[in-house]
Amino acid sequence: MTALLTIILSFTGALVCGLMPPSAHRRIRWVALAIAAAGLVVSMVCCDNYSGGEFADLLEADWIPSLGIGFITGYDGISLPLLLVTGLVAVCGVLFTWNLETRANQFYAFYFALIGGVYGVFLSLDLFLLFVFYEIAVVPKYFLIAIWGGTRRQFAAMKLVLYSFGGSALVLLGMLAVFFLAHDASGEALKTFNLLALQQGQVPVAAQQWIFPLIFVGFAIMAGMWPFHTWAPTGHVAAPTAASMLLAGVVMKLGAYGCLRVAVGLLPAGAQAWAPWVAVVAVINIIYGALVALKQDDFKYVIGYSSVSHMGFVLLGIATLSLTGMTGAVLQMFSHGVIGALLFALVGTVIYSRTKTRMLDEFHRLIDRMPGIAWVFIVAGLASMGLPGFSGFVSELYVLIGAWGSLSGWIVGGAGLGILLTFGYTLVKIHEAFFRERKTPDTGQVETAYPPMTLPEKTGVALLLGSALLIGLCPWLLTDKISPSLKLMLERFPN
Amino acid sequence: MDYQQLLLALLPDLLVVVALFAALGVDYSRMRGSRLAKRYEVACRISAAGLIAGLAVVVLQIAGTMPVMESNADGQLVLNTGTLTLKALLYAMGLGVLPLAKRDQITPQVSEYFALLLLATLGMGFVVTSRNLLGAFVALELVSLSLYAMTVLNQAKRASAEAALKYLTFGAMSSGFLLFGLSYLYGATGQLDLTQMTGLQHSPLLVLAYLLIFVGLGFKLALAPFHLWAPDVYQNAPTPVAGWIGSGSKIAAAALLLALLQPVFNAPKLKEALIPALAALAVLSMVVGNLGALRQTNLKRLLAYSAIANAGYLLVGVVAFSAVGNTSVIFYILVYSLASLGAFGVVAVLTDTLGRDAEISDFNGCWKSTPGLAVAFLIFVLSLAGIPPLAGFLGKFYLFFAAIEAAPNAATWHDGFYWLVAFALIMSVVSLYYYLRVLKAFLVAPADDRAAIAPIKIGGAAGVSLCVLALAVVALGLWPEPLLGLLRN
Repeated sequence: MTALLTIILSFTGALVCGLMPPSAHRRIRWVALAIAAAGLVVSMVCCDNYSGGEFADLLEADWIPSLGIGFITGYDGISLPLLLVTGLVAVCGVLFTWNLETRANQFYAFYFALIGGVYGVFLSLDLFLLFVFYEIAVVPKYFLIAIWGGTRRQFAAMKLVLYSFGGSALVLLGMLAVFFLAHDASGEALKTFNLLALQQGQVPVAAQQWIFPLIFVGFAIMAGMWPFHTWAPTGHVAAPTAASMLLAGVVMKLGAYGCLRVAVGLLPAGAQAWAPWVAVVAVINIIYGALVALKQDDFKYVIGYSSVSHMGFVLLGIATLSLTGMTGAVLQMFSHGVIGALLFALVGTVIYSRTKTRMLDEFHRLIDRMPGIAWVFIVAGLASMGLPGFSGFVSELYVLIGAWGSLSGWIVGGAGLGILLTFGYTLVKIHEAFFRERKTPDTGQVETAYPPMTLPEKTGVALLLGSALLIGLCPWLLTDKISPSLKLMLERFPN
Repeated sequence: MDYQQLLLALLPDLLVVVALFAALGVDYSRMRGSRLAKRYEVACRISAAGLIAGLAVVVLQIAGTMPVMESNADGQLVLNTGTLTLKALLYAMGLGVLPLAKRDQITPQVSEYFALLLLATLGMGFVVTSRNLLGAFVALELVSLSLYAMTVLNQAKRASAEAALKYLTFGAMSSGFLLFGLSYLYGATGQLDLTQMTGLQHSPLLVLAYLLIFVGLGFKLALAPFHLWAPDVYQNAPTPVAGWIGSGSKIAAAALLLALLQPVFNAPKLKEALIPALAALAVLSMVVGNLGALRQTNLKRLLAYSAIANAGYLLVGVVAFSAVGNTSVIFYILVYSLASLGAFGVVAVLTDTLGRDAEISDFNGCWKSTPGLAVAFLIFVLSLAGIPPLAGFLGKFYLFFAAIEAAPNAATWHDGFYWLVAFALIMSVVSLYYYLRVLKAFLVAPADDRAAIAPIKIGGAAGVSLCVLALAVVALGLWPEPLLGLLRN
């Protein structure tokens, strides 16, 4: 029951914030912070109590028994890191939106509806329930972007939602096929959406061959898989900071989580057959994302494409189908969730609110004018690059080791090239943003120093960077929870 | 025949008829010289009283505290939990239309307006409870004739007359087709009672009969290519009437379609012959409806195209030819009707305030002026679009579930209905584009300073009606099992 609190808290929060008068935005932000923090605390409590690899905190109830649908929630080592990152990003999203005034009540109503949906996906152990929460998470995104967003927000919001629903349509079809085709050891049809029961049963191998790509691609669209990634950069850029933090930090993980839990977890034979293709696409993601990031002039697009690149590592980790690689994938989900959110916060709020532009050409030696912020960004950039000591290093290392063991050398070489490119674009963009003179004609404005970070901003940075550092230094805090659960999943694989 | 039993079984309908005459009588005698608003008020109250009384009796019948005969001669009346539930829901929805009609004072012929509304509701109640070819046809005609007349009630509007004429011509032709089909069905089986038609054999005559029936009911359900009347009628009929055409009459037609197809269940060869026709209608309706809706600027027209698309989804459940399929179709048409009626209610409220047809852009800034209305509309439209946890999602899911269940072990892509479900899913994604475009006006667009932006007055009864509809849409999405249980019988 503990974990269910996160969902209840978020939806109640959405209702409470939505009903508060819009003029009370100061009060609303404190309420929002309290709710988000409560969610984080609940996730931490869950994480603290968890050990072993089995599902914990199980809650099973009938929902629509005539359709084989139950209300089943619980978590294991795979969902825990994602619950944590959701809690963290939710709190920091509020902190980095501290000064929001326009329609604040509605903003937080949509914000918490989205977060509630996300928690729901990570906690659902019934396929139908998972799908319901997955879709609940989509609609608020539209409004968050379309109402509070920036450049080309209507277009970006619509594109994002249509891509999301396109993916869901594939998933739904695959889900129905799984429902009707899955059978237990004696060959009797299961006719259930219960994930625990489905994991024990199996889907005919021939059917897995076509169901796996449906479900995997359906979810992977949300994870930013090439060539269906294009919603991600436009969506991230148009979204208001808190929403782009959630998008990059959490929503893309929804897709990856679905790939892992549903596609790979329920269709192992399909996964084995398709893994090489997934790996190829993952490497394209890594390299393509990095190359495009290198060419961007808009700072937020750089981060947007770096997200696409980093999500490639998650997909690659999943494609290894090995304990090490998949542990790396889950760890990378956490790591990118934290660091990606931090980068979006820095670019979208901390820097943008001061410079009023995100175009790198117009930045003029920011290192002199906002030294504190610049150094924070440099550290965050290095963390994103995979500097030892930060979580990104550990997760990418795990993925590469896993890939080395189970995939061809070309794939590992491609991923290695991707890492080099990541070094490249991170350093180049840090240089362009902070150390370079303006490239556009001088407007004659006096180059004064910008105000330092505010307290909410500092808190948010400390939280996100702190967690990346903590996991980078003590990865076993998470890997000890992740690995046993993945091991159980892999034990169900046919040899 | 036991007349006392018959009287008891038909008590709900009698109560409605009494209310109908009372409304007419009072309006023609005592209220003759009163103000229009007063006359609307009184007629609405009388009609509501009749429907409430009728509804109460139906509920008692469902609960089993009042005896009903299971079935009488020739299946004229089949009163079981399933059909009675449908009848009760139709009465309840008719009750929801009344306050909207009261707001929308379009005609001085007050009592006729309400009498026709009651007549239509009465007819729908008969359609869903009849399993007799003739009885059902006559009841369906009662519905249609009332609706034609109501469409033209707004005499001040030329377009309204044109739409009504179109509706009448198309409708009369479709009735002809339907009757023709029913007569072939009768000729082939020698039966009027649908429950007695067993052991149908595959024969060209029967296939032709069913194709004619599909044409006839296709008009009523606004299936493409028989949809041409729908956009004009939806746009130009008085909004509450359009809402009732788009919900109540759809429920009746869908229920009749299922009843007529019931004998086919045990005739595999006939089924094989009919499935391509139904699937083609489904695909065509989804394409025409969804693509047509993309470019509409008038909200009622958009809802008309969405109705065409939704009729297409409906057939996905019909082709399953299974008990699950039937339940899913009825459940879907019910939740669709609730949401559609609600959406029309919202439009009615604004049309009233504006005094002209509501364009989508008229709702710009509704979130600021009338947030409650915007939230209600959000619920209705998201349900139409099939977004969980609203009822529309579950309805669609159930249809697809039934279609896949019919043949889950597909060897090739065109075995079973995977392809049809996939197509419907793609079309739902397309539909999201126009639904979101409407919601954008309600929730995203900044309030401009046109007159429409003053808070829209909803009015007590209409407000309650919209609230109940919205709550029903949410509740049926979260907790559908009780209703599913009732319908399954």
